[in-house]
Amino acid sequence: MSQDARNDEGVGDGPVEVVLVDDHHLFRTGVRASLDDRVRVVGEAATVDEAVRVVHALRPPVVLLDVHLPGGDGGGGAEVIRSCADLAGTTKFLALSVSDAAEDVVAVIRAGARGYVTKAIDGPALVDAVRQVAGGDAVFSPRLAGFVLDAFGTSAGDIATGDDELDRLSAREREVMRLIARGYTYREVAGELFISVKTVETHVSAVLRKLQLSNRHELTRWAAARRLL
Amino acid sequence: MPCDDACVDVTAPAPTRARARLPLRRPEGERWLGGVAAGLAAHLELPVAMVRVAFVVLAPLAGTGLVLYAFWWLTVPPGDPRDAAARERPSALTRLARRPDDDGAETGRHRRWPVTDIALGGLLLVVAAALVAVRSGRLQAAWLLPALVLLAGLTLAWGQLDSMQRGRLRSRAGGRTPVSVLRLLGGVVLAGVGVLLLVGQGTGRGIDAMTLLQAALASLAVLAGVALVLAPWWLRLVRELGDERAARARESERADIAAHLHDSVLQTLALIRARADDPGEVARMARAQERELREWLYSDRPAPGTSLAAALRAVVAEVEDSRSGPGGEAVAIDSVVVGDRVPDPDTAALLQATREALVNAVVHGRPPVSLYLECGDELVEVFVRDRGDGFDPDAISQDRFGVRESIIGRIRRRGGTAEVVSRPGRGTEVHLTVRVEQPAQSDPVEQSEQAQRSEGEA
Repeated sequence: MSQDARNDEGVGDGPVEVVLVDDHHLFRTGVRASLDDRVRVVGEAATVDEAVRVVHALRPPVVLLDVHLPGGDGGGGAEVIRSCADLAGTTKFLALSVSDAAEDVVAVIRAGARGYVTKAIDGPALVDAVRQVAGGDAVFSPRLAGFVLDAFGTSAGDIATGDDELDRLSAREREVMRLIARGYTYREVAGELFISVKTVETHVSAVLRKLQLSNRHELTRWAAARRLL
Repeated sequence: MPCDDACVDVTAPAPTRARARLPLRRPEGERWLGGVAAGLAAHLELPVAMVRVAFVVLAPLAGTGLVLYAFWWLTVPPGDPRDAAARERPSALTRLARRPDDDGAETGRHRRWPVTDIALGGLLLVVAAALVAVRSGRLQAAWLLPALVLLAGLTLAWGQLDSMQRGRLRSRAGGRTPVSVLRLLGGVVLAGVGVLLLVGQGTGRGIDAMTLLQAALASLAVLAGVALVLAPWWLRLVRELGDERAARARESERADIAAHLHDSVLQTLALIRARADDPGEVARMARAQERELREWLYSDRPAPGTSLAAALRAVVAEVEDSRSGPGGEAVAIDSVVVGDRVPDPDTAALLQATREALVNAVVHGRPPVSLYLECGDELVEVFVRDRGDGFDPDAISQDRFGVRESIIGRIRRRGGTAEVVSRPGRGTEVHLTVRVEQPAQSDPVEQSEQAQRSEGEA
């Protein structure tokens, strides 16, 4: 994934401070080395308990969070997000995982993460993703967009008619999701649909909200089929 | 900003979430008597002393404390609650996907006894012996009928042992079947009648109502006593059986994974070390191994021939392994699949065309290469995209057989559509669609079950 949309408003010019949470020391070292000077790692943690402590102490704008973590009640990354719920206004979570299992993705997103990227992501793309999350946007990889389409259905009956419907995507949101799943960056999606990048980000945030709040029957069934519930 | 209130909305209901409760177990370590108080204390997060005092206080009140203690002692399994909690964690959070449970079918097969046949043979022998005895005058005919009724009842009841093993899978899914209950009931009634008749014969006064009633009451009392005495033992047996089964499933899963790690991952690592001077080859091997491991850990592994998504993954794997980019480097294909369905000839053609498009994108285009497949109700759509400069589809000469014939022609012959969109600086995208008959199923699990069912019917 290479989000070249550098939308840094609200982030400022200085480096974004992040806390890196992953139980593999080797991986943390690798991520630190791949980040450039637009992002500064201010803290690290290897377990759920440690992560909750460090995040509460440092209150960073962004936390890079592994989905699978030891410690705590065994809830992994999702548990960290829930335990840091009191920081919801200041700290945002970007999930980073080697897994592409649907239940992992949905668990952290529904806990409140603002995006999901796989560990195969390269340095500059990760920096972009971090700055996007810090700026309040959601980060959708093609795979996450695919999961959303899978969960909300792709047939004609699944289109939302009103804005307040949580259980279905609007036609526009679905178009955006399909383009992201096809490997388009936000900027390319905007060009393809003749809308602004900001509008694309609004659509993506709306989809993220639906994914987090929807009680859609199919979402439950879909999660159950993949042994999430 | 909409995202901000989304954050608050989601997280507000559980600001400082309490830790999940430990399951109810009777710990071995800190017990005084049966470990019930200690287990309850751990479950309710109360001090142990308080729970013990509560039991003592409740004891004089019509024995409530004692009865409760005894009840929990019987029903709560022993064990460390913390261990149990760790074991109950969902697989999603322990790195390994659960394996499909397929060892249940064979365990029944080993231990199946032809109980019905043996019982039938035994019954015939007994009848023959009885007839001989009656003929020779050693046995009075009056004893014969009750004994036979009793035997028939026993056969009926014991016969279900065999049918239970045959129907093991079914009964595990749906509990006991009405037939087995009927069998048991019939058997008990027959046996009861037989016993009563025998008793009537034994007293020598024929069938006297008072005697029968007394005999019935006495035998019921004895049965109830025996059941009370044996109940804890039976309960423990059932629980041990469940534990045993779970342990065996875990063991075989672990063995599976160990064998797999040895077979493929270690070999690939050895190969990578041997060819460390060839970065392209190392990247390719690492990618292939990653793909295989992912398949192993995270996917449901549907039965062959039932999943278009699995077939597509195989095509992607083949292209990644066999083709290189213009500079000889390995190219990873970023694939996303939405929905799934059972493959048919149309989707087979679509897959072939997809393969050609992927080869084209990998060999002539520029990475990253993206692949998107969507199974809708009426259409199956594929997008293959690379970031190269592309080519003008109208300017493809007739002799460039690749794109024109193997991609476009193949799809159009199936009544589908194929278009190539290529824009400078925006990469190239091949868009393929085929029309399909029956609606797609977004649930591969359900779908493979249906496929198996239809195979069974055929």
